[in-house]
Amino acid sequence: MGEGGFNKVLYVEDDLDIQVVAQMALETVGGLTLCVCSSGQEAIDKASDFDPDMILLDVMMPEMDGPTTLVNLRAIEKLQKTPAVFMTAKVMPSDVERYKKLGAVDVIAKPFDPMTLATRIQSIWSECHGG
Amino acid sequence: MGDKAAKAPVSMEAKLAQLRAQYALKIEQRVDALQALVQDLDGAEDSVRSNTLTQLRDETHKLAGSGATFGFPGVTLYAREMEQACVQSLATDTGAKDTDGVLVMIANLVDLCEKLRRATNEQEQVPEQGQKQEQAEALTVRPRPAIPELHDSFRQKVLFIMEYDGPTAMQILLEMDHFGFDARIINHPSKLMNDLQANDDVDVIVTGLTFGGDDEVALKVLSDLRKDNAHKDMPVVVHTSLESMKARLGAVRAGVKAYLLKPVDMADLVDVLDHVTMRHEDEPFRVLVVDDDESLASHTELVLQGSGMETRMTTDPMGVFEVLDDFSPELILLDLYMPGCDGQDIAAVIRQREEYAGIPIVFLSGEADKTKQLSAMEMGGDDFLTKPIQASHLISSVRIRAGRFRELRSFMVRDSMTGLFNHTTTKQLLDTEIARVQRSGADLALVSLDIDHFKNVNDTYGHSVGDRVIKSLARLLRQRLRSADVIGRMGGEEFAAILPESGLEQAAHVCEQIRQAFSEIVFHTAGAKFNVTISCGVAAYKDHNTATTLSDAADKALYTAKNGGRNQVVKAD
Repeated sequence: MGEGGFNKVLYVEDDLDIQVVAQMALETVGGLTLCVCSSGQEAIDKASDFDPDMILLDVMMPEMDGPTTLVNLRAIEKLQKTPAVFMTAKVMPSDVERYKKLGAVDVIAKPFDPMTLATRIQSIWSECHGG
Repeated sequence: MGDKAAKAPVSMEAKLAQLRAQYALKIEQRVDALQALVQDLDGAEDSVRSNTLTQLRDETHKLAGSGATFGFPGVTLYAREMEQACVQSLATDTGAKDTDGVLVMIANLVDLCEKLRRATNEQEQVPEQGQKQEQAEALTVRPRPAIPELHDSFRQKVLFIMEYDGPTAMQILLEMDHFGFDARIINHPSKLMNDLQANDDVDVIVTGLTFGGDDEVALKVLSDLRKDNAHKDMPVVVHTSLESMKARLGAVRAGVKAYLLKPVDMADLVDVLDHVTMRHEDEPFRVLVVDDDESLASHTELVLQGSGMETRMTTDPMGVFEVLDDFSPELILLDLYMPGCDGQDIAAVIRQREEYAGIPIVFLSGEADKTKQLSAMEMGGDDFLTKPIQASHLISSVRIRAGRFRELRSFMVRDSMTGLFNHTTTKQLLDTEIARVQRSGADLALVSLDIDHFKNVNDTYGHSVGDRVIKSLARLLRQRLRSADVIGRMGGEEFAAILPESGLEQAAHVCEQIRQAFSEIVFHTAGAKFNVTISCGVAAYKDHNTATTLSDAADKALYTAKNGGRNQVVKAD
């Protein structure tokens, strides 16, 4: 169980290697519960049932990219205010602005350090909740 | 970090290692695939080329995003460059009309792909995160010579290695580990502050300057470090391939103590690290002021003390020798005109005593006549300062000369290779120590120490390697023994240590630990690794109460150790 009711993360990433390592980082180190999706469509299909506390999205994915996925997720009523975080290998200031306009609360640069990813996610969560 | 963040880190480390290994296995195939795609670009139709570039862009994007996570920072670096090259080509590709442009683009991609391939052979070790230190150790390949505590004051120096290139970081870590540093790797300057906060025992930082193609970031972080009171004096050593004046200046401004160009010889690095981490409790210069005018002398003393020097004053020129022997100054300030005898006569008399032949003598006087000043110098003065003298002149004149004298004397008493006391000085100090214990009745032990089969090391690996072995032993001895202990290099591969207030058993125990620690040091030389051992003979003053008998007893014990198969410590009867 995460801090202050923080537990469930919807994680969307097409790169399997990254998927595995991030999942491990968040589950093993962070003690979080993950719903891992390999595409934007899969995330949209599963999001409602999973009812995440946070959404973690890769930006660059084939077919549906991260921002588009988030726009679609926001269409689901209970996900309208769920904090969303993008992960990307290309962090341009202009992009960050764009992501924030889409309702992202933060952007995590790739490659990330698997040992500190969970801490990072947790502090983003705390900030969102006035912690 | 929340409690659960620390949950089961061991299994995380282990799993991570597994994932890294898997990734390492796959990565070459992925680069093969990239290379094939790059080859397809050659002679391809415009539409095909555009598709291929898009594929290349997406695949390199993935690699850039994952490489460093799995311990391949170089993969991230070059994959990102390739990705950018693809993005650019896609945006500017003018098609087959521009044949040259296409060829240049392909050549560039081929080149980057080659760099990427090389980077796949350079996986770094698992970065350790401050508090996860212990758990991480179980996993990483660090051979840690289990160096036991010898004296309470002994502590391994903690070294942070800030380096983008994993293999380089690993190499430094391993080498420094052999030299007794507790080294930890930080793979990016952005983590430095956090890691320093988590480790308040860091003694020195070794850093590269280029991180992911960024030559500025490390210096920026180091400059910030200087603004932080807790770390403003942290010694930092740079090792880099950047030779530009700009980089060097930047380093100086960021308070960097030493700037080494790659490839760095590890023995040099150790020397530098030792030097910058030496506790510079700079002993204050000792200055003797001889002046018949007490108020003037006191004033001079005050000025010198104000700049941190230690002073002694005498108004009686006849009593100078007494003070000399008692205070052993490093510089004498002498008034030129005093009742009863001239300053220059005193200087001449002092110079006649062998042990003071080299001590700097500076005349202080109101004498403005250059001829008289020169004649005073001829009688053994080193400088002539005319009263009234500016305080700053006095201080710098004294500091420069006393500093030079100290350095010169160290050449006379120390062995140049190891910095340990030389044979003569060690013998003298043994006499002094024995005289002392004869008065006080305290314990004293003497150790004779010799490197086993040293000739073999020289013959097999060459003299420079032999020198490294000797320096390493000297370093270990300095590290393990107390500052009150006298350590001497008696010649070649022979050493001696005088341990005040130590009995036979204590001294033997200390030697045993040193013997073991030294045998665990792995020496690397082109294509070979080897270990070297030492033998020790220990004798105690309580059983042998003159310098000669004590030395003989320690030597005899050493021979017994040698004859008994070496790599051992033997106590004298």
